[in-house]
Amino acid sequence: MSSSERDPSPVARPSRLMPLAVAGAAVLAVAGGALFYYAAITAKGPEKGVVYKVTVGEKSCEPNDLSVAAGRVTFEIHNASNRPLEWEILDGVMVVEERENIAPGFSSSLTGKLKPGTYEITCGLLSNPRGTLVVTPSASSEAERAKPPVKAFIGPLSEYRVFVATQSSALVKETAKLSEALKANDLATARAAYGAARLPYKRIESVIGRIADLENRIDGLADYLEKREDDPAFVGFHRIEYGLYAKASTEGLAPVGDALLADVTALKDRLKEIKLAPEDMVDGALRQARRLSEEAVLHGENRYSQIEAPEFAANLEGIAKSVTLMTPLVEAASADTAKALKDAIADTQAKIDALGSGSYADVPKDARDALAASFADLAKRMETIKSVLGME
Amino acid sequence: MTFKTLIGATALTLLIGSAARAETATLDLVEPIAEYKIYVTEKLDKLVEDTTAFTAAVKAGDVEKAKSLFAPTRLSYEAIEPIAELFSDLDVSIDSRADDYEKAEADPEFPGFHRIEYGLWDKKSTEGLTPVADKLLADVTELRKRINELTFPPEKVVGGAAVLMEEVAATKISGEEDRYSHTDLWDFRGNFDGAYKIVELVRPLIAEKEAEFLKTVDANFAKVDATLSKYKEGEGYVTYDKLTEEDRKVLATAVNTLAEDLSTLRGKLGLD
Repeated sequence: MSSSERDPSPVARPSRLMPLAVAGAAVLAVAGGALFYYAAITAKGPEKGVVYKVTVGEKSCEPNDLSVAAGRVTFEIHNASNRPLEWEILDGVMVVEERENIAPGFSSSLTGKLKPGTYEITCGLLSNPRGTLVVTPSASSEAERAKPPVKAFIGPLSEYRVFVATQSSALVKETAKLSEALKANDLATARAAYGAARLPYKRIESVIGRIADLENRIDGLADYLEKREDDPAFVGFHRIEYGLYAKASTEGLAPVGDALLADVTALKDRLKEIKLAPEDMVDGALRQARRLSEEAVLHGENRYSQIEAPEFAANLEGIAKSVTLMTPLVEAASADTAKALKDAIADTQAKIDALGSGSYADVPKDARDALAASFADLAKRMETIKSVLGME
Repeated sequence: MTFKTLIGATALTLLIGSAARAETATLDLVEPIAEYKIYVTEKLDKLVEDTTAFTAAVKAGDVEKAKSLFAPTRLSYEAIEPIAELFSDLDVSIDSRADDYEKAEADPEFPGFHRIEYGLWDKKSTEGLTPVADKLLADVTELRKRINELTFPPEKVVGGAAVLMEEVAATKISGEEDRYSHTDLWDFRGNFDGAYKIVELVRPLIAEKEAEFLKTVDANFAKVDATLSKYKEGEGYVTYDKLTEEDRKVLATAVNTLAEDLSTLRGKLGLD
C-alpha cells in the first residue's frame, strides 16, 4: 500500500488520472453532482497536496515563516530578485528538498513529502536571513510513525547491505594474508593475521549464520566433532588457531589456509545473494546477542589462543550497526526505546573494555556473567524495536 | 440502474483505476541503492585523490598544471552531485557560484572550485588561493566522511537522475557553470555518467513494465553521448565555445526531454 493511499485527504491520486476524470465528466456531464465535484478537485491537483506560494525578493522572502501539516506539500517559489537563485528546505545542514536555478522573474514549484519537525528555509542570497518551516503531525504521519511503510526500510537495508559487502571483502583480504603467512611458515605474522581476519567475520556473523554449510567449515569448533582436534573434519579458523597456539607451529596448515580462503571467497558471493527483510536485520542481530550471552561469552570460542575481547567487540559492532540503522525510525516512534538501546550498547561495550587484553582464561566467572547479562539485556531491548515499529 | 448508482459506479471505477496505477516501493530497491552507494564511495575516493593533486598545484603556484587538473577533478564531483549537494554547507563551500554572493567575484566569501577557477583563468594567477585550496581539500575530505556515514534516501538516489539532467539543462547548456574556464563539457559528462548509472541500476526493476519508457530514455542518452563524443579531446573535452549552435540545440532538446522523462522515475518505483 502506498503512503498516499493512506492519506486521509478525500481524493486519491493525481494528474495521470485527470484526463480520465475529465473524459468521464464530459460523458456524464448531465449527471453533474458527485462526478463534477470529483473532477473539480482532481483538477486542483491532489498529488501536490496543499500549495503554498513563496516570493523571494532581493533581501527577504514573503512569507518567511511557514507552518504546514505533515504529508505531501507543494511550494511555488517566485523569484522576484534579479539573480538566479535556489530555494532549500534544510534540516540542520541536510537538504530535505530544494529547487535550483530559478531564473529572475520566473516561478518554479517543488513538491515533497515532509515529516513533522522544524526546518530552516533559505532565501536567495546566502547572506539573507533564513526563514523557518514548522511541519506539524498529521493523521498519516502519525500512522507512519507507528508502522513505517516498506519504503522507510530501503535506506537502512541498503546501508546494511553495503556493510556486509565491505566486511566480506575485508574478510577475503585478511584471510589471503593469513594463508600467505602459513605458506611462508611465519608463525608471528600468521598469529597476527588470524586475529585480523576474525574481526570482519565477527562483524557480520549474524548474517553468516544463514549459510550453515560454510559457517561450519569456516568457524566450526572441535567440540562438535567425534575425534575433536584429531578429527579430519576439523578445519577452518579454529584448526589454524589450534596449530598456531596449541602447537605453536604452522606445520601442515598451508592446505587448511588455502581451503579457508576458498570458503570465505565463496561466502562472499553467497552473502551477495541474501536479501534481508527489515525484521531479518533485527532478528539476526538479536539472535547473535543472545547466542553470545548463552555460549561464547561464558565459555569462549578461541580455546587455544584465549583471545576473545576483540572478537566480542567486533560482534557488538555488527549488532550496533543494525540497531543504529533503525535508530531514526525507532526514535520517531519511541524516543525512550531508542535511548534504552543506545545505553544497552554502551553498557555492553564498557563490559568488553573491562575484560582487558590478557588471556580470557584469566577472566573470572563474574566478569563473564556480567558481560553475558549485558548481551542478554541488549537482545531483550532489541525485541522492542520490532514492537515499536509494528513489525509483529 | 438509477442515474445516481451509475455516477457512483463510475466514480468508483476511476478511484480503483488510480489505486491500481499507484506503484508501491518494494525491497527490490535495496540492491540498486546499495550498489549506488558503492559507486558514490568510489567516486569520492577519486575526488579526494584528485583534489589533493589539484590543490597541491594551486599551492605550488603552478597555474598551468592547476588548470589542467581543474576539470578532471570536478568530474567525480559532478557525477555524484545529487548526493554531494545534500549537505548544504559543503555544497556552498565546494561548488557555489559568484551569483550567490552579494559582491559576486569580489566577495571575500566566494569559495571553492569556482573561486579557484576564477583565479586561474581570469586572473591567471594563484595569488591568494592557498587558503581557498586548503579549505577546498578539507571540505571534500569532510564530504567523503559524511557521505560514508549517510544512509542514502532512496527517493534522492532515484530522483537524482532527473536532478542531474535538470542541472545540465539549467547551467551546462548555457555555459554558465564554468564561466571562466569553459570546461562545462567535462561537467556535462560527469552529470551524464551519474544519471546513466542510476538508470542502469534500477533498470532491472522496470525493464518489463516500462520497456517503452526505457527505449525513449536510452535513445536520448545515446543522442547526448554521440554528440558529446564529437567534442572529445585527449582524456576530456574541448572548451564550451567550440560547441556548434546546431549541436547545442540537439543537446538541449535531448537533455530537456531526459530531465522530464526521468522525473517520472521516482513515481514508477513507488518513491513519490
